[in-house]
Amino acid sequence: MRVLSIALNTFRENIREKLLYNLLIFALLMIGSSVLLTRLTVGEWDRLIINLGLSSMNLFGVLIAIFVGISLVSKEIDKKTIYTILSKPVPRYEFLLGKYLGLMLTLLVNTAVMVVGLIAVMIYLDAPVTLLLFEAVGFIFLELVVITAVGLLFSTFTSTTLSAIFTLAIYVVGHLSTDLKQFGAQMDGLGKAVLNTIYYILPNLERFNLKGQVIHKVNVVGTDVLLTTAYGLAYAGLLLALASIIFQRRDFQ
Amino acid sequence: MLLGLAAAVFLATILSLQIELDQRHDEQADRIESLRLLPRGELLRPALIGFHHLGADLIWLKIVQVLGEPVVTDQDYEWLYHALDVVTTLDPQYSYAYDVGGTILAELANRVDWSNQLLEKGVKANPAAWRLPFVLGFNYFFHLSDYVKAGEYMGQAAKIPGRPLYVDTLAARLYVEGGSPLLALQYLEVMIQQAEDPQLRVIYEEKYKEVVISRDLGTMDQALARYKQTRGRNPQTLADLVKEGYLAAVPEEPFGGEYRMNSETREIESSTHRERLRLHRPD
Repeated sequence: MRVLSIALNTFRENIREKLLYNLLIFALLMIGSSVLLTRLTVGEWDRLIINLGLSSMNLFGVLIAIFVGISLVSKEIDKKTIYTILSKPVPRYEFLLGKYLGLMLTLLVNTAVMVVGLIAVMIYLDAPVTLLLFEAVGFIFLELVVITAVGLLFSTFTSTTLSAIFTLAIYVVGHLSTDLKQFGAQMDGLGKAVLNTIYYILPNLERFNLKGQVIHKVNVVGTDVLLTTAYGLAYAGLLLALASIIFQRRDFQ
Repeated sequence: MLLGLAAAVFLATILSLQIELDQRHDEQADRIESLRLLPRGELLRPALIGFHHLGADLIWLKIVQVLGEPVVTDQDYEWLYHALDVVTTLDPQYSYAYDVGGTILAELANRVDWSNQLLEKGVKANPAAWRLPFVLGFNYFFHLSDYVKAGEYMGQAAKIPGRPLYVDTLAARLYVEGGSPLLALQYLEVMIQQAEDPQLRVIYEEKYKEVVISRDLGTMDQALARYKQTRGRNPQTLADLVKEGYLAAVPEEPFGGEYRMNSETREIESSTHRERLRLHRPD
């Protein structure tokens, strides 16, 4: 209950952010621009709409997750409102969880707005809307679930600027982690062990990328969807647990 | 007031500089250059952190813009092969890019070798796309006159579900007839019917007419041979062949010219296309 009220409060706070609207409008503009671009291309024009739409959704979702996520805690500290909350009988992990869920709610609403935008464009241009598209959107949201947790973890112990840089770095590396494993396979002994360890610790964000499957109409096996969802949620759970441990030990002066 | 004036002056300067700078460059050459200098697909893909499908789309869009211009000044087309290679490395399942790219490389750029390379890469990555072995078969049939290979690729296309029925017919006839003009005409009819791009359709229609000439010359050559055999001399004109019952009629030349007897070589030729099509020379 306390988590929920913190979450709703965070959501209310988020939707007052100007940054959010800027990014959202930009994303919608990019989705809309595919109306113009499809006129310029030759053949398979619907893949351009889907690619542009899903990519904008993904990119701007991640930007919102990072830049709003990293300021969740630091803002409370800057405004000193954190003292009033933590002096109440609210465990710190509940405070963190509430903040996190609040932002996830914001992102959910955001993604929904972008999906509506994309589908409107697709209907306008007579492109077929498939179930696979929604699976891909679901996975994009799952990526946001993980990225927001990464941002939150960093923001519990560093400044906002550093958190933003670290989270962006994790985002980039997370998409390249399969390459790490490949490099490891070509090495032997220690190098392989190190690279493999890094590979298994880092989030493999490429798993959440279904854009190719949507445009090529390759169905994803049901168990894969379930396992990947479980992977994403477990990863976010781990990050939130770590964030709570660090936050619990932090001393606010 | 003064600041506003300064801002206006700056704006005017920026605009005029922008226009001036644009004019100093050949836009098409710049676009081709940017495609030529694209990093290899294997390097570009990781740099796009999960957005490689969009990357493939945007590069494809750029290629289409250059090819859509009335004249492509750069005739070496190496940039085209490279850019298509990058697109298909970023998205190996983009079968349309192999299909149209391969066709353009063979028909516009006259680089059948590159076209085949690209299409073979596509066949490997997309075993379910019947158009790719189909176009490869066309290349071997038409440009390389290799009817055995053409038949093999056509047979491969004829095994893929979702193909139109004529693929099977063409495959069967390729094995039997090799380089017959009638078969070539049937093949070209399919290509014309399937071409979405008007530029390509024109190219195929030209080819179609050339094969019609070759078919007509074949028929008239046969009549001429029979004439020589029975009469022991050459006829004066083509009309003699018709008059004396060796030929039903002199066919209409598809480019609007006429068929005639060359007075020196005593061979039948078309007034618009003196050279006979390579495809139907006896090998």
